[in-house]
Amino acid sequence: MNGTIFDIKECSMHDGPGVRVTVFLKGCPLRCMWCHNPEGLSREPQLMFKENRCCRCGKCRIKCNHDICQRFNRCVYACPNDCLSVSGKMIGDAELAESLLKQKNMLQFINGGVTFSGGEPLLQWEFVCAVIDRISELNIAIQTSGFAESNAYRSVVDKVDFVMQDIKIMNPEKHKLYTGVENSKILDNIDYLKKSGKKFVFRVPLIPDITDTEENLKEISKFVGGHRTELMRYNTFAGVKYPMLGMKYKLSDRESRKDDYTKYFENAVLL
Amino acid sequence: MLKEYILNKEHYKFRREAGVVDLKDSDSIAERVCKRFEKMCALETPVILPGEKICFIRTVKNLPEIISDEEWIEIKKKHFVHESGFVSNMCPEYGEIIKDGLLKRAEFADEYGKREIAAIIDLADRYRAEAEKQGRTDIAESLVNIPRYGAANFREALQFLRILHYALWLEGSYHNTVGRFDKYMYPYLKKDMDGGIYTEDSALELLEDFFISFNKDSDLYTGVQQGDNGQSMVLGGVDENGNYVFNLLSKLCLRASKNLMMIDPKINLRVNKNTPMEIFELGSELTKAGLGFPQYSNDDIVIEGLERVGYDRRDAAEYAVAACWEFIIPGKGADIPNIGALSFPKVVNKAMYEHLMSCETFDDFEGKVYDEIAKECDSICGEIKDIWTIPSPLMKVYMPEIKYHNFGIHGTGIATATDSLYAIKKHIYEIRDIQKEELIEAVQSDFELHSELLPKLRFHTEKMGNDIDRVDNIATGLLKCFSDNLSKRKNCMGGSFRAGTGSAMYYLWHANEIGASADGRRKGEPFGTNFSPSLFAKINGPFSVIKSFTKQDFVNAVNGGPLTLEFHHSMVSDDECVKKVAALVKAYITFGGIQLQLNVVNIEKMRDAQKHPEKYPQLVVRIWGWSAYFVELDKEFQNHVIKRQEYTL
Repeated sequence: MNGTIFDIKECSMHDGPGVRVTVFLKGCPLRCMWCHNPEGLSREPQLMFKENRCCRCGKCRIKCNHDICQRFNRCVYACPNDCLSVSGKMIGDAELAESLLKQKNMLQFINGGVTFSGGEPLLQWEFVCAVIDRISELNIAIQTSGFAESNAYRSVVDKVDFVMQDIKIMNPEKHKLYTGVENSKILDNIDYLKKSGKKFVFRVPLIPDITDTEENLKEISKFVGGHRTELMRYNTFAGVKYPMLGMKYKLSDRESRKDDYTKYFENAVLL
Repeated sequence: MLKEYILNKEHYKFRREAGVVDLKDSDSIAERVCKRFEKMCALETPVILPGEKICFIRTVKNLPEIISDEEWIEIKKKHFVHESGFVSNMCPEYGEIIKDGLLKRAEFADEYGKREIAAIIDLADRYRAEAEKQGRTDIAESLVNIPRYGAANFREALQFLRILHYALWLEGSYHNTVGRFDKYMYPYLKKDMDGGIYTEDSALELLEDFFISFNKDSDLYTGVQQGDNGQSMVLGGVDENGNYVFNLLSKLCLRASKNLMMIDPKINLRVNKNTPMEIFELGSELTKAGLGFPQYSNDDIVIEGLERVGYDRRDAAEYAVAACWEFIIPGKGADIPNIGALSFPKVVNKAMYEHLMSCETFDDFEGKVYDEIAKECDSICGEIKDIWTIPSPLMKVYMPEIKYHNFGIHGTGIATATDSLYAIKKHIYEIRDIQKEELIEAVQSDFELHSELLPKLRFHTEKMGNDIDRVDNIATGLLKCFSDNLSKRKNCMGGSFRAGTGSAMYYLWHANEIGASADGRRKGEPFGTNFSPSLFAKINGPFSVIKSFTKQDFVNAVNGGPLTLEFHHSMVSDDECVKKVAALVKAYITFGGIQLQLNVVNIEKMRDAQKHPEKYPQLVVRIWGWSAYFVELDKEFQNHVIKRQEYTL
């Protein structure tokens, strides 16, 4: 079975227990305005262009025979400055599993594991399950918005060792406004997670004036209770990849704030 | 505060020039060295800085020349002279001298040694008198025993070490390291702790005072750049019985370095695969601070390797780290661990220009590369004969019984050479999509000709650092060829040659020497630092780098030279991350790596510091075997550090 990924990152420090390898799956049903992985939104391969390195030599315009280049009318192999790359690679479950298992000795030594992230990994839940079945000796974690059909959510959660579950906005209308989808499915899935006996943490992105309001954080706090919650500081570099994809980042003028948001929670840390 | 006083350079006001120092041409050079030392000691003005407990600073800035230009020409006609000709990168057994006192050393010293000891004692006495005059009875008391006699307590021992180290610089030797500080100093601390004289906090305070002393005169001791002064210290490591030594003092040193955030002393931590995780965690806390300390070395590899090149096991177990990374033996080794350097990329280019056209298979070609390595080793080692060093009566006092005279040769640019060879293997001999002539013309013309090959070779051919055996094994072969070649030779002092993986400044020099290379590196682009991936290689991440750079046989290439890993500061943002970094370091050691340099960097700050240097006087970066204040570096070095981050993991 094939899936589409856009990156495999070795040595993630903040994606679960220990030092991890993170697999980024391409495609997401949400459109959070603050998303810092815009190449994770579409399921389709996308051309990424680093304009600041471009010397306008035009070599990428010369016709080539590489399969991957045809749909973009650009040759990604011709650039002397490595400006062009394709985000999105089709890969089989066996091949991905093999490359992850290559890290087994390292991961076991450092008490790390593999984390599936995205995009929204549950959009390709069958692929994720197929890979997990092949690497079950490794510690597996998933980072998810929770926006998925309940059978997809349950199938994956049941297979993993650790879940990093996002909670963004409690108010349904505001959730729809800022992420493009309603949060009822997410909250239902979280109910399952809470009862599942799995190890998990909640993750709350602190987006200035959107999610980091007192009202929202208090509501989230009430919902999560004493469960461990990680508050993710807003990354002011979140928008850097948008221009490479020809997209526009809508929150570009926000500054990260330094308030102590943990005060709203019973059991939260600021990351 | 003493630290602020030093950082603000307020003590510079006590400095003056030496003026004309009369040294007769008719004297022997040893006599001149001794006379200059006596004179320098006499010229020094004792100064006690506000609040300091460990004294001795330089008030006379410069050492007058003792050898004329004409004499140098004559000497160099007849002899090989290493660097400036003075003794460097040697490590006395300070612990023994601190125990004995200088008078006992004088009994066995030659006339020059006796005179220099007398000069040191005289200067110490004047310091004592000055301290009394200023009412600093604590300092005066600390100079009653030492340096004449052995130290009776921790403070005296620290003050004594300060004097001994200071005297070496004053005599003219450089890259003066301090060796296994926590091993030889701990007995003094323990005795005083047992006696209730110090708490951990007050011991730390005194230790910090001592650490600051390394930074008082260090601007006078420049190497290639400010900071390249070799004031390195070794902590941890196994003892002669194989037990791991890590005591309260080791711990306090890591803390002092982290608290002070000053570039000296540079900390090396000896570890092995049995070293407790807690120690890796303490080391990683210091890494997080961003000074580029500690540098780790692997006892399991280094001790066995040193034994193999001829060191006795007991001596090998005592190894310390020289100015940058080379392994040296305290008290017994007069090794020159950086006497020469082999440029792997130069060898590959030469073989390509001369033999590629005639080689039918890659094995043939690789054989030619190996032949060139042998020739290059002949040439490098052949030049080193009749070596001449400026006499150092003081080093003779400190190290009366020299057992080893081995020479170390760096091996530079191994990733560039490996990537180039792999590119040749793949494109010329395997998939055959590049013609031999094309490749040669492309590299020769810096890719002006056949420019379409540049992206293919540079960005779309596999590189060392991604745990690909067929690439990494080429490096293994290159290093083995180099070390096998050296191991067969004896040097002009009867010692061995040691192959290493360091580069020092050669990553710039050697890179400028050869023009472009077949890995798509363009003319003028530097190699990676030491034993590290090429600067433009697309790297999967630290796991792959660690695996690629631990496959080689370091027991046979034991001169030293670290893998450099650099982490963006956000990766080490909390205590949990510190533990994760520690686990990664231990993994590197367990996988059989020889030496690891781990840097936490903040590229945004570096870029801003280039624009606004005044805002970042304390921004520290690691260069190769030493750390420096970023804003004090030449632009070329600043840019290299920034360029390294483009592949930051």
